[in-house]
Amino acid sequence: MTQTITIDAQQFVLHPLGGIYWVEKSMLLISDVHLGKVSHFRKFGAAVPQKAIHKNFLLLDKIVSEFQPFHLCFLGDLFHSSLNKEWDFFANWVAKTPSKISLVIGNHDIIASEKFTALDIEIFTELQLDNFLLTHHPEEHQKLFNFCGHIHPAIKLQGFGRQRLKLPCFFKTKKQLILPAFGEFTGNHTLKPKKEDDVFVLVEGEVIKI
Amino acid sequence: MNRNQLFTIASNWFHEQGWKPHTFQKETWTAFLQGKHGLLNAPTGSGKTYALWFPIVLHYIKQNPDYKNKHKKGLKAIWITPLRALSQEIKQSAERIVQDLELPMTVGIRTGDTSTKERASQRKNMPDLLITTPESLQLLLASKNYDKTFANCSAIVVDEWHELLGTKRGVQMELGLSRLKTVCNQLRIWGISATIGNLEQAREVLLGPITAEMENSILVKANLKKKISVKSIIPKQMETFPWRGHLGLHLLDEVVPIIKKSKTTLLFTNTRSQCEIWFQKILEKYPKFAGELAMHHGSIAKETRLWVEQAIRNETLKAVVCTSSLDLGVDFAPVETVIQIGGPKGVARFLQRAGRSGHRPGEESVIYFLPTHSIELIEASALQVAVKDNAVEDRLPFLNSFDVLIQYLTTLAVSDGFIPEEIFSEVKQTFCYQGITKDQWQWLLNFLVLGSQSLKSYDEYKKVEIEEGGKFKVNNRGVAMRHRFQIGTIVGDAVLSVVYQKGGYIGSIEEYFVSKLNPGDVFVFAGRNLEFIRIRGMKVQVRNSNKRSNKVPAWAGGRLSFSSQMSELLRQELYKVSENKNMSTELKSLTHIFERQRLESTVPTPKEFLIETFKSRDGYHHIFYPFEGRAVHEAMSSLLSYRIGLLSPITCSLAFNDYGFEMLSDKPIDIQAVIDNNLFSPEYMLSDLQKSLNSNEMARRKFRDIAVISGMVFTGYPEKGVKMKHLQSSSQLLFDVFRDYEADNLLFQQAFTETFEHQLEEGRLRIALERIRTQEILWAKCENATPFSFPLITDRLREKLSNEKLADRIKRMTKILMK
Repeated sequence: MTQTITIDAQQFVLHPLGGIYWVEKSMLLISDVHLGKVSHFRKFGAAVPQKAIHKNFLLLDKIVSEFQPFHLCFLGDLFHSSLNKEWDFFANWVAKTPSKISLVIGNHDIIASEKFTALDIEIFTELQLDNFLLTHHPEEHQKLFNFCGHIHPAIKLQGFGRQRLKLPCFFKTKKQLILPAFGEFTGNHTLKPKKEDDVFVLVEGEVIKI
Repeated sequence: MNRNQLFTIASNWFHEQGWKPHTFQKETWTAFLQGKHGLLNAPTGSGKTYALWFPIVLHYIKQNPDYKNKHKKGLKAIWITPLRALSQEIKQSAERIVQDLELPMTVGIRTGDTSTKERASQRKNMPDLLITTPESLQLLLASKNYDKTFANCSAIVVDEWHELLGTKRGVQMELGLSRLKTVCNQLRIWGISATIGNLEQAREVLLGPITAEMENSILVKANLKKKISVKSIIPKQMETFPWRGHLGLHLLDEVVPIIKKSKTTLLFTNTRSQCEIWFQKILEKYPKFAGELAMHHGSIAKETRLWVEQAIRNETLKAVVCTSSLDLGVDFAPVETVIQIGGPKGVARFLQRAGRSGHRPGEESVIYFLPTHSIELIEASALQVAVKDNAVEDRLPFLNSFDVLIQYLTTLAVSDGFIPEEIFSEVKQTFCYQGITKDQWQWLLNFLVLGSQSLKSYDEYKKVEIEEGGKFKVNNRGVAMRHRFQIGTIVGDAVLSVVYQKGGYIGSIEEYFVSKLNPGDVFVFAGRNLEFIRIRGMKVQVRNSNKRSNKVPAWAGGRLSFSSQMSELLRQELYKVSENKNMSTELKSLTHIFERQRLESTVPTPKEFLIETFKSRDGYHHIFYPFEGRAVHEAMSSLLSYRIGLLSPITCSLAFNDYGFEMLSDKPIDIQAVIDNNLFSPEYMLSDLQKSLNSNEMARRKFRDIAVISGMVFTGYPEKGVKMKHLQSSSQLLFDVFRDYEADNLLFQQAFTETFEHQLEEGRLRIALERIRTQEILWAKCENATPFSFPLITDRLREKLSNEKLADRIKRMTKILMK
């Protein structure tokens, strides 16, 4: 179950896996996948289950086949750290994915940009499309609406009977929308919404507006 | 020299001091010199250090009659202490003997506090007698050629063994000993333990259940009877609602005359934050005590602690507010009185604290019990009986702690490497791993080398390698370094050191607390008001402040449960109330509380099991009173809520204390259905309990320690300031990944078995359920909260549980938000 929102007369579909599909541009936005994190840990002697490596690619396949976007844009932190063998998996995945792929560089993306260009992936520090600005770190801009990641946003909910829940979410303020982390094995950071903010939580295959 | 001549040396020395050796001391000397191993059961302050330092020294004299002219360098004996704070004391008593007997022996300390320079010089030239901690012993095993270091070590003494026994540090010790048995020539193994319920088992765990050492061993008991008198501080004015969280401060005025009356008083609190607050409040109300009042707990800088300990001995302090950090070792003759603030949760602990006072022979130990809420007076009443009957509890040893074994094997791989077959037979001899199978062993080896159970070509896992000849070895320097940092099984939240901006270490606090502070916030720590400036590396920079604050750091952990003995005694006390017979002074003072309880509900008799329900602003409260101790209640609440969830999906938060447990929900639970469906049945208990763990977070929390100990989560090292940000992940994330992809992982499984065996005490739960089966269930539908329920419903530290669909819950929650 997705949610569709309209910003500046453009339609955006929020997907429960954590991606956003920009209908008019046929563009899929995904942030903070942190590929290679499992391998990185294993390389340093922490035995995180190997099977978790493939999950990210399965999820990517799933969301891409659902929207079949013309353009796929990663909003940073695509790779967790330096080059490891998960890069080969990624290269394979890129080869079989028909969409055009771009990457807005994040603080974790330390892999040389030539490696990306070799796979036909375009690299940006930020990307402006019409009235929208795509970045990794949240940016405040006078005119442009900002899509970004980095934060791994989540919110806490409270209910009767002292119930509490913490859930990852899309976090939308007036001029900005922060995407949740797409990757498995990534943590999150709790934000407190203000009255005028919109929050969409990801829960059991649904996107629910709070 | 024969034994008599040797004994003369010792006896003469005792006479010179104006002492006479105790029977238990002579028994220990004899057994030691006969080459026996053993466990000495003696309380603090009885002269237990001399019971074992002496035979160690005498044995050396016997072996080296020409010791005055010819001294062979190298390690002769190791003394293990669980608290590094105690090492100075032990060193002094050893040095005293060595000097008086004019022996050429050196005594050294090696703990986390020892400087790098000192360590390096020790590595070249080990002291003859070494005092160290279980962790530092492991670190020695992690250094190259450790077998040469230990080759001529002929004795190892594990002090305060009862403190280590029920912990993973105890397991670490078992493993260390299993190795030393092989590398040392003719090692004698001795333990010293305070009185616990399972002393025989304690000896078995120390020496290994079926070993030559166990065969050739002895249990020596000091049997020093000491008169202990327990006095309860009964408030003059008793509030009807025993609100928890008072910390007992309402009785502060009653404490002051007691402090004034005696030379030195120790005030024991149960937590470090309570300790801080008490210290602060006494000074606020009685500024005259300034300079005569000190504070002592585990997070305060070592220098301060040592200073406090010395000041107690010099009789310059009137009172010290402390935590369990002063439970062990260190003799303080001037202490006349002990005050226990809040329930001590165990008889052995209470007795030990009582024994802190009146150290001189024949003197009576006096301990005052100060209840933090009035219901605790029932506990006080039960403690009176316990002290009379000397009803001490067992310390349960761990079984199959694979995390500690992984750590240990990595340790051996880091130093000289190991051959699995050799180590397996050693490990198999320990109590903890007596049941380990060949399959499990192979699993562990695979885990070390492959990081999994199957080899994948793309995998870059790197830790232990197999060398030619089948030796398991760590060759990567980074792995070795991280492992050395990580050795130690006491884990908590990441710890940051608190320092002044210009330098000067004050102590350490948990990251969790710091994360809630903003620059400029003032908090109370180590008795000072400190202003938070910033975090630099792993250091919290602060400056002194004049502002007052009620923010006190909380340290997680340390919530203790009643032992079964104590719970039984507690029930007996309550039954006295329900039958109105043989009531103690404490119980009588609670009369109007019991009246209030009866007005709303009832005080159950031995034949009854009480359930109370009522609604408040917080939600629907359902309270159950088995009076079985916190651990059993934790298990029972988990089991019961799982079974209720089978009737209809629920979400609730659970709170438990030693009297009962609460299920708080946003919908009422049908108690009649609970009774009709016989949900307290002991049948299918184990499988239901297992399933219930999936819907709450107990196992998840256990996993945290396991992940750190086994080296899967790297915590960094506070004082060294080593940052490993790129390798930090929360154990929570890791738990989820294991649950989804590798649920058969032994370490993941261990989180569940540990929750059962240690936390949930499955055996006691079954007995409790059998008992409830014979009782009549009383369901009191109350209008308001009852006095019994108050400590529970006000508890904010809760367990969460749900088997409802998340989406449904959220929709309900949003409805409330919008209202």
